[in-house]
Amino acid sequence: MQISGITAIKIEMNEPVIALHHLSKSFGNVHAVQDLSLTIEVGTIFGFLGPNGAGKTTTIRMLCGLTHPTGGHATIQGADIWQERQKVRTRFGYVPQSFSLYRDLTVLENFRFFGGAYGVPGAELEGRIERLLSVIDLQEKRSATAENLSGGMRQLLSIGCALVHDPTLLFLDEPTRGLDPVHRQQIWNLLYDLSHEGKTIFVTTHYMDEAERCTEVGFIENGRLLAKASPRALKETFSARLLEIDVEPLMPALVRLRELPELLGVSLRSGSLRLYAPEAEQLLARWREDWPFPDLRLLGERWVEPDMEDVFTAYSQGYDGVLKRSRP
Amino acid sequence: MRWLSFEATASVAYKEFLHIYRDRRVLLLVLLLPPLFTLLFGHAFETSELTGVPSLLVDRDNTPRSQDFIDIISKNKTFRWRRGSPDMKDESNLLGHGVRAALVIPAGWNESLENGDPKPLLLYLDSGDINTADAVEGSVRQSLGDFQLKQRDQMIEQLPEEVFELGKQLPVQIRKRFVSMMEMWSVDRKLLYNPKSRVIDFVVPGIIGMILQLLTVTLMACTIARERESGTLYQLMVTSLRRREIVIGKMLPYLVVSAVLVVVIMLVSGWHFGVAFHQLPALALVCLLFLLCSLGLGLLISAFSRTQTQAIQFSVFFLLPVFVLSGAFAPLEQLPTAVRYISELFPLTHFCRAFRLVNMYDAGLQFYVADLVLLLAGALITFIGAVFLLRRIEQ
Repeated sequence: MQISGITAIKIEMNEPVIALHHLSKSFGNVHAVQDLSLTIEVGTIFGFLGPNGAGKTTTIRMLCGLTHPTGGHATIQGADIWQERQKVRTRFGYVPQSFSLYRDLTVLENFRFFGGAYGVPGAELEGRIERLLSVIDLQEKRSATAENLSGGMRQLLSIGCALVHDPTLLFLDEPTRGLDPVHRQQIWNLLYDLSHEGKTIFVTTHYMDEAERCTEVGFIENGRLLAKASPRALKETFSARLLEIDVEPLMPALVRLRELPELLGVSLRSGSLRLYAPEAEQLLARWREDWPFPDLRLLGERWVEPDMEDVFTAYSQGYDGVLKRSRP
Repeated sequence: MRWLSFEATASVAYKEFLHIYRDRRVLLLVLLLPPLFTLLFGHAFETSELTGVPSLLVDRDNTPRSQDFIDIISKNKTFRWRRGSPDMKDESNLLGHGVRAALVIPAGWNESLENGDPKPLLLYLDSGDINTADAVEGSVRQSLGDFQLKQRDQMIEQLPEEVFELGKQLPVQIRKRFVSMMEMWSVDRKLLYNPKSRVIDFVVPGIIGMILQLLTVTLMACTIARERESGTLYQLMVTSLRRREIVIGKMLPYLVVSAVLVVVIMLVSGWHFGVAFHQLPALALVCLLFLLCSLGLGLLISAFSRTQTQAIQFSVFFLLPVFVLSGAFAPLEQLPTAVRYISELFPLTHFCRAFRLVNMYDAGLQFYVADLVLLLAGALITFIGAVFLLRRIEQ
């Protein structure tokens, strides 16, 4: 008895919060999400990365039970996201991409409405709202209508309202889109705090620096999952060494280098060029002997660590030559 | 899980109430329009009589007798006469003269009457609007009848003594019949249900129904469409609110506002127009069912349309035939049978009928129970339809 009890707890601990099994969604001939399988463990900050139209929002909306999968299935804490959506709803909070609270209602009224809508008992609600107001730092603005808040404050309010029923899981669809760095930082700090409390965070973004802050990252493009791992593990899939060079004049160099068959791609970073080449060492050795561009001046070169943007570029552009990977 | 959570429904209702309260323009519309419309329509329909129709009078006879007739017809309130010159040729150009009718007394009219071969008067009528043409013709006939009666009385007075002597020789029976024939035969009318023949009493349910229908359908139609437009609908859908809680919660504040409006309109028409109201509980029931039905319709339109603009357009398209065909301002019996079947589809038709039966006829339940049942059925169908359509949004 003792043992089976422990086993049960252990299974529960290891059971993923979210599990997607071949989840697909098509709108007619458009395959927004294709055969998406992944699991997310408790306490993870999962960053879902991909260009616009990759299927991030559709995935989140399926997980929230707002649209039904056309193939496969998914569970949140073991409950089916579509069949049992009424049951699942109290377990997560959802912050959609565009501000979707009531603009003509005040901060407090929005909180009270969503509290009531989620069935938070009245006695508990006021205390919880106070706590959330201090978490999102909007105590002073409690009587302001949502319409009159700044973009960052609105986003904080959206997150606050999504937390009013104390869910264990939070979906955020591009929560920092269009925000200034101060508010972005504030929102990420908030997400860390929530994660620290044991909440699981599922966040989409296309800011690569934000991907670095996640404990796990999934790349999605054209509705397909390209990779899923921790940011460190993803960077380690970058097999080739990454060469960064300083050239003058810069823009003609960018154009010329892009045409080189030895290079998979070139990206411009703070005045230097990063070269994605499978055999960068040989290339550099050759260049040192014979620089092929008489009209361009090579000022310097160095080896750099790939960052998330490099990894994402490589994955999304299909630069298989610089990646050690097997497609998931 | 309970069928309906009171707290959840109440929070939707409160939120919806705040939307109404915060939208000052709509609030103003809702508060001012009904009493204003009641006054406007009430006065507009106060009397059904036609008065002051601009008309042209041309007297080509120009005799004491034609002058006599003109004196009589001048007292007729239907017309506002303008005299035309006897020499004019274009009296049929009503538009040019800016009149709706032209009455011509032909030259030699007096003489033709004396000669036992009465010439007809000539009446040009603008029949673009059929009601006016009929009413004007009736009015002219009436004045002519009055004139003829007066002329006949004068003639009898002036008959020589011999004629009376001669008459006395006739058998009594024939004399009696002769007198009967000379009398105007009359109808003794007893007006029932609306004894003062006040149009306002007939029209009040039309006014109440029209205003309620207008406000409830359009405002309600915007509610879900607005949430869809602003993206809040999805936020609403991810909460643990159930569709019925959303639908009922959204409806409640509008139901309360509309109920207040019914009272306001009744007070205005009671005080200002002296309309009496009977069987208040029954009236309340009729109004409640009608409101539920209208709100349901609004919800249905709302769940059906993508944007608020669409919702308004759908509402207007729906409401236009309703106002014309529902018998709110004119009796349904004017409509051809086939169209009357369509009228029966509109909640406003049943509301007006039931309201009049209760209020004007003071009728028993058995007379209007069918209308109540149909209104209830309408409410149920529209609500279930709205809940069903909302389900489709999720997919």
